[in-house]
Amino acid sequence: MKLLLIEDDQVIANFVIKGLNEAGFSVDHMNDGQAGLNAALQENYDLAIIDIMLPKLDGLSIISRIREKKLNTPIIILSAKRTVDDRINGLQHGGDDYLTKPFSFSELLARVEALLRRASNIVEPTTLEIEDLELDLLSRTARRAGKKIDLQPKEFALLEYLVRNTGRVLSKTMIMERVWNYDFDPGTNVVEARISKLREKVDKNHDASLIHTVRGLGYVLKIQNA
Amino acid sequence: MPNLPNTLSFRLTLWYSGSFVVFLAASFLTLLISIDAILGDRIDEDLIKDIKEFREFYESGGLNSVKQEIDREAKTGDITEIFLRLLTPQGEQFYSSDLSHWEGITTVQNKLEKFATNESEILLVTVEFHTQDEETRIAYGLIGPEIILQVGESTEEKEEIMKLLFIVFTTMFLIAIPIAATAGWFIARKSVIGIEEINQAAIDIKNGKFNRRLSIKKHYDEIQTLADTFNLMAERIHELITEMSEMIDNIAHDLRSPLARIRAISENALSRQSNKKEFQTATEDTLEECDRMIQMVNNTLDVAEAEAGVVEREKEDINLANLIQDACELFEPVADENNVELTCTLNSNCHFKGNRQGLQRMMSNLIDNAIKYTKPNTSVDIKLENNTNSIKINISDKGHGIPKESQHRIFDRFYRCDNSRSKEGSGLGLSYARAVARSHGGDVILETSSKKGSTFAVLLPI
Repeated sequence: MKLLLIEDDQVIANFVIKGLNEAGFSVDHMNDGQAGLNAALQENYDLAIIDIMLPKLDGLSIISRIREKKLNTPIIILSAKRTVDDRINGLQHGGDDYLTKPFSFSELLARVEALLRRASNIVEPTTLEIEDLELDLLSRTARRAGKKIDLQPKEFALLEYLVRNTGRVLSKTMIMERVWNYDFDPGTNVVEARISKLREKVDKNHDASLIHTVRGLGYVLKIQNA
Repeated sequence: MPNLPNTLSFRLTLWYSGSFVVFLAASFLTLLISIDAILGDRIDEDLIKDIKEFREFYESGGLNSVKQEIDREAKTGDITEIFLRLLTPQGEQFYSSDLSHWEGITTVQNKLEKFATNESEILLVTVEFHTQDEETRIAYGLIGPEIILQVGESTEEKEEIMKLLFIVFTTMFLIAIPIAATAGWFIARKSVIGIEEINQAAIDIKNGKFNRRLSIKKHYDEIQTLADTFNLMAERIHELITEMSEMIDNIAHDLRSPLARIRAISENALSRQSNKKEFQTATEDTLEECDRMIQMVNNTLDVAEAEAGVVEREKEDINLANLIQDACELFEPVADENNVELTCTLNSNCHFKGNRQGLQRMMSNLIDNAIKYTKPNTSVDIKLENNTNSIKINISDKGHGIPKESQHRIFDRFYRCDNSRSKEGSGLGLSYARAVARSHGGDVILETSSKKGSTFAVLLPI
């Protein structure tokens, strides 16, 4: 998978490149708008990450030009502007997703993978499994070691989200956005309380814990000794 | 005063004195013309009267009587001002008074035939003699068969009166102009002095004296109204600036605290011989502090955005009952952890056109606050009332209540009561909630607050 990053801030660029390389992607980096546009039009990238404020040519113009050439490369917009209008504007120019600075790398990675998954049209499975945890997506029920776990609808959605992103750290904002459709953190450990309740239902009385807290970053579902 | 001719006072004065002068001149001129006409008529009447008298003399005493009367008149009257001649219809003089002051008289007017046929005709003409200073008015009239009397009278007396009047009027005029200008200047100054005061106050405010106010009382109503409006505006500016500087202080304070902590964490990790575990903890702590700062900056911007009414733009049909149900569900685990019971009394359906994210966040903020401030082992009650033209959502806690002196400030950005400083929070939750409600045409108010708890009410119009 080959990605294009157009970003003029060297520190952020290094941080993103390092993370994406570790996640197994190869990344081409351009630090001005013109060079970025040329690269995007010449090479066939699987996905582009584009900053809005760029020297020579701004991000929105790059996206417009890419879309004019009928290229449907998935595009994630990075921007320090965060008003609703800015987001709408970015998406209307042809961006597929919008991420505000400052952002956590895990969130960027999750969005990159989600877009790539969407682009590759993988057939959705009807069940998810990890270790002895099974999720039936049709009846929306969960079992651990064959025993049914009693979950509220939102709890199931949260667990499904964690399982679908096994091994990946999910931030509070990502969880709020995906599970509750809130685009803000309602503060006061709402997510934490919800997670500990879920953990009690899923992990209690089992040897291996699946749901873990990563301090400062978020939550992850993974097999302990992996 | 800069550039005098351009000032309002100058132009007002000019207009005032200008129109006064024009009016005065016109009046004087009319007066002079009328007096001139009246005096002229008086001379003509005298001359006609003379002719009529001589006609009677001729009828009663014949030509001799006429001649005697001419001599008598010449003796009693001033021969420089009046003359009398008797003429034939052919214009030949056959008797006269002393004509030494009326040189060239014989050349005057000889078409007198018509007087022979028409007795009542009297001819009046104005003639200039080089021996006379002023014009002379002359009358011709038939006083007997073939006898025409020519009477002349100088207009000198009339002209003297006119000259005197002209001098009087001109003097009055010259005195009146400066008086008019001065009066005009005073009136103009009186009306614009208020404007100048306002101008001066505006300059003061521009220069940073934000507490400057106007105290104009004695001027015209319009100026007073302007001054009142100006004071209101100045008051608002003062409020905004105070609020803004308080806000900047608060932001600076709230940013400085996490920055200080980050600095301390990093310094601590570097200065000691930290092991990997300690470095990891330091990094985690730093991340948490950063997130808190980002959250605060975002909240500040969101409140500003909500207050600017941007949120109002994209509205959708929302079932408020569902939205509140979701919010309660979201906070249930938090309430559980704090041993607080969260109860929700909702109507089955309550549709409202609004901004989903804004309303979700408004409810979250209010519920979050209520859970934070209610006493442990009590409850937080949320109630949705759906009336015909309004929606009311009550959020009640069983906390210690809000002190009276703080009640009017709790919706201010960054304001935090003394007893809330210990709790986590930005002081923006209520500001945001109120801004969202207001952008939907409603409001958030503190309905009741006592030692037994507080109730906030969200009011929304349908």
